Amino acid sequence: MTNELNLDREAHDRMTTSTRRAAAQKTRANTIVRPTDHATPLELSNITIHYGGGKNGAEAVNVVDDFNMTLHAGEMHCVAGRSGSGKTSILTVGAGLTLPTSGRVFWEGDSLETMGDDEIADRRRALIGYVDQGGALIDGMSALENVLLPAVPDGEVEQRRDMAKDLLDLVGLGRRMRHRPAQLSGGERQRVAIARALILGTRVLVVDEPTASLDRASANRIISILKDTTSDGIAVLVASHDHELVRQSDTLTELI
Amino acid sequence: MNAVQRFIRSRVLLLTASILIVAMCLSVLVQGQSQAALNRTVDQNSRGLYDILVQAKASSSGALMQPDIATGQGGIGFDQLDAIRKLSGTSVAAPISLVSRVSQNLEAPRLDATDYLGYNAGLAGTAGDPTATDPSKWPAAQSVLSDTPKKYRLTASAVSSNGSSEQTLFKTTAEGTLGKGKLVEEQVAGGKNVRIAGPAGETGIKFPAPAGGSEHTLFNLSVALPLAPQVTESVVAVDPVAERALLGGAGDFLAPLEKAPPADARDAGAIGRHFESLFTSGITMDQLKEGPDFLGVKLKYWAPLMTQYQQAKNAGQLTADSQAIPLIVRSGTSLDLKYSVKIEEIDNAGNVTKDVGTVTRSLDKDYLPFVSKAPFDLAWPGSKDLSSLMGDTGGFGQGLYNPAIWSTDFATAPKYKDGQTAGNGAVEKSAVPGEWVTVNRLPEKGANGAAVDQTQRTPVDERSYRENLQTGKKPATPLPMVYGTFDPAKVQEAAGDVNRLPLGGYDPTPMTLTKDGSGKDTTPTALKPSLSATGLVSQSAGAITDYYGLAAARGYDKNASVIDAVRVRAKVDGTWKQAQPEVEKLANQIRDMGLEATVVAGSAREDASIFVPGYSKDDAAKESPLGTVTQSWVRQNAADAVTGSLSGTNLTLLFLTLCGAALLTGASTVSYVRKRRREAGTLRAMGWTQRRIRTWVLAEFGVGAAALAAAGIILSLVSWNPATAIVSASVLVLYCAAAFFAAQQLRHREVIDQEPQHDERLIPVDSPLTFASRQLSTNKFNTGSLAIAVGVFGAAVGGLAALLIDIPRAAGASALSGVAAASIALPSIILGISGVAVGLLLTMVTGRFELAAKRQYLGTLQAMGWNPDMLGQVRFFENAMVGTIGLPLGVLGALGVGLILAPYAALWAAVAGLVAVLCWIPIATKVVQ
Repeated sequence: MTNELNLDREAHDRMTTSTRRAAAQKTRANTIVRPTDHATPLELSNITIHYGGGKNGAEAVNVVDDFNMTLHAGEMHCVAGRSGSGKTSILTVGAGLTLPTSGRVFWEGDSLETMGDDEIADRRRALIGYVDQGGALIDGMSALENVLLPAVPDGEVEQRRDMAKDLLDLVGLGRRMRHRPAQLSGGERQRVAIARALILGTRVLVVDEPTASLDRASANRIISILKDTTSDGIAVLVASHDHELVRQSDTLTELI
Repeated sequence: MNAVQRFIRSRVLLLTASILIVAMCLSVLVQGQSQAALNRTVDQNSRGLYDILVQAKASSSGALMQPDIATGQGGIGFDQLDAIRKLSGTSVAAPISLVSRVSQNLEAPRLDATDYLGYNAGLAGTAGDPTATDPSKWPAAQSVLSDTPKKYRLTASAVSSNGSSEQTLFKTTAEGTLGKGKLVEEQVAGGKNVRIAGPAGETGIKFPAPAGGSEHTLFNLSVALPLAPQVTESVVAVDPVAERALLGGAGDFLAPLEKAPPADARDAGAIGRHFESLFTSGITMDQLKEGPDFLGVKLKYWAPLMTQYQQAKNAGQLTADSQAIPLIVRSGTSLDLKYSVKIEEIDNAGNVTKDVGTVTRSLDKDYLPFVSKAPFDLAWPGSKDLSSLMGDTGGFGQGLYNPAIWSTDFATAPKYKDGQTAGNGAVEKSAVPGEWVTVNRLPEKGANGAAVDQTQRTPVDERSYRENLQTGKKPATPLPMVYGTFDPAKVQEAAGDVNRLPLGGYDPTPMTLTKDGSGKDTTPTALKPSLSATGLVSQSAGAITDYYGLAAARGYDKNASVIDAVRVRAKVDGTWKQAQPEVEKLANQIRDMGLEATVVAGSAREDASIFVPGYSKDDAAKESPLGTVTQSWVRQNAADAVTGSLSGTNLTLLFLTLCGAALLTGASTVSYVRKRRREAGTLRAMGWTQRRIRTWVLAEFGVGAAALAAAGIILSLVSWNPATAIVSASVLVLYCAAAFFAAQQLRHREVIDQEPQHDERLIPVDSPLTFASRQLSTNKFNTGSLAIAVGVFGAAVGGLAALLIDIPRAAGASALSGVAAASIALPSIILGISGVAVGLLLTMVTGRFELAAKRQYLGTLQAMGWNPDMLGQVRFFENAMVGTIGLPLGVLGALGVGLILAPYAALWAAVAGLVAVLCWIPIATKVVQ
């Protein structure tokens, strides 16, 4: 058997997915933003992601192979796995930020294949809030300004200012809203990023490693915020290998 | 990992060192090449036919001179000329003086109509000439005139043009009847006589006096036309022996003048009688065609001399003191004088029944001053010249009838008047005749209000015209005695471009009308001398004589100071650089005599704009200005000027390139510091001391410094040029300074930066524009660096534009600068382009500072749902704002560089800088994408 065949088999084995439904759908209360009626805001179908194998002779790596997932409203789905297993890749593909090697992504039943860049951007703004690893806040702008950034394209900065302050209050940073990213801790930056992701009434929250490099207390605080958002009907797709986060998620995909 | 490995791994340092070495090599090599080419060109071309121009009276600056004729400043005596010649360092001392302006009437023009009456054995001249046509082969009689006389109207006119406007000198009409002539045989005492007579009833045509009437001959009916206008020519005097020594082969035309008799053998009456005796005693046709021998010189143009001799003798003008003045006359003229006759057949009532035609003739290259060859011999339409039937005896030109009027009164020149002062301070200063006028002055202020470097072109005081050269002694009427001709164009060509001053006797001054009297630009028009006596001198001297001729024409006393200038060649061979010490020594010796000695290291043409007021008059005698003419003046010391200006250009470019390299080094060093700061922190955490970290940094830079030093030493040795060593040392110092800066920046920071809280006074971020603004204000260092880089790029483009504009100008400014500019054009352009490349590279390096961070926040915005258009707007606005900040630097830098390189092109340089920065904005936006 050739090395190539061995690699293919490894990739296939790694993608063996065990999914368990942890809890039933929760009742909804303390509505921040009311989700639409769409029951499945995000669906990934037969997603395959390969890296490398270009002209420079680098060896191709199958990161994700034939991955399927359906995210329901009010559900927190966790993609777990060791580093390099493809968690972030699945998130960026789900958020429409990168294209999969093959497979299809559906947003509220609509395939991204049929959309242009502008439409994807508009739909993403309305549907998905993406929280990057580490928060990815913009330097030179206060926490409040960072939260309001998604409202700029629609010219709704002033209209959403109060909501932004409420969201920062909600994530426990009501008194730090004038601070800049450099003046915030890692956990605080994550919370600002989550508030920013929710500012436009997002129906899907895509969060990448929200508790990585955080202490337990800060991590628990983030997990609590995420859980609260699901109670408002927001679907959460989170990549993490944090056991507590995995434990509290409704569904789990474990990448091997 | 040792320092070399770390240096190689650190691509920033490697790239910087490589770029600096390349820039060093390029700059030094280009500089060396261009300087070598320039030196070679100047050395080979800058030594003219003479080295020193000696004048009795210094002009205010001595930098520019009119090359048309000797300046007329006068004042060098023959004793001083002898003293110059006796100096041990003198090889040739050739004097030149303005002798006179000579007015003369052109030969009386006539209109000939073929009226050939056939062979008649009884006509004089038809027998005995072996070149005449055999009687059996003479054609039948023919005529363009009818057997019965018809009435004609002739309208004669003469028009002169200076190339810009025409002036009708006269227009007159005469009427009468003309018919075919006939031979009339008459019985006279002792036999028969045959005469030629008009037909019965013919009245002939007679123009008003002084023109005569019409007359039949064997071959033609000739109608005498109104007298042609007077033509004025200038005459200069040279020492033919010295002049030939100066000009070499180009001066061979002066050889006959060398054989001219001395003053005591130039008695006009004696010479006239000698020629009369020649004709009396008999002279063969061959001798006549070649010219009678006069003391070893064949005088081809003897006819004018004899004609004028006869006239002067009959008029009583010829005295015992009258001398014949030997002349070498100019062949051809650029004087525009057109003579035309309109011929109409009319009825008794004066109505035109038939337009016979219009015949015209212009002065052209066949015209020789003092030796007119029937310039206005016009032919009736359909006429034939049958005079050759009689053989060579019919081929002698009659020449000028009247003796020329020799005058030293130059006050007939136009009266210059004070001009206006322009807004920029330029003064159109002029003067009445005899006063001084300062011309060739640059504007006091440039377009930006800054003072203009006046050293580019030295203003010169021109005496508008010398009033007269009278010496107090009235000379007897001289007769011109033409010894030969010269072609000014051929002399110019043979003498070379860098030998113009003051060979003006052979060297017409081109003049071009560039602006009309109201100051508006006009299509550049080459002006010619016209008969309207405007005084625009653009024609070479009409004739050249020797100093005996000058004495005869001016009548000066012995040893009077009548030499206008002396051109001296030093007795030393080699190029200008090789001869310079001896030339300077000789010049100082001449200065010690109380004379003005200007060392002429090459002299070449340079345009000067001169406003000419009071050029013409209308019917109401109101004067109008001609406008501004561009006249070619001569720049002395052209070699030094070329060396100075073009070397300055190269040095400026080199300096700019080094400035770009300095900025590049600074930018890359900052980039290096940023990349290594985290590494330095890690090393500190591992327990490294500050000193060790500094050593660690300096070791990396040391590798680059060693490479730079090695390159510098090799280049210096190869080129053996101090400039190379200076450039190499400058680059090395620059690099070392960057190393210490980097080491200093990577020190441990004891104090944690305490950033202030967000300032609410900042403009809220609510659009791509405000977002871009916030990003730039947050990253002030990067923004500033990039803006400076963009400014440098704009300035470099401006510099290149100025250079590209300057090279053709330099090439056109003078002959030597043209040759020099051509020799270093390519190296200079390469240097200019390398400056632009450095500027561009600088923008790329500084633009990469925050590229990763920029990509990250653009990705974040994309993740938030900002669409591609908005992201594009962010990128565009960022670059537009950077461009806006860099714009003043780019424009002002380009303006400054332009002012250094070519002040007249500074504005264009600024425009180029502006365009470069504006173009950079979309390009940078695209690159970031």
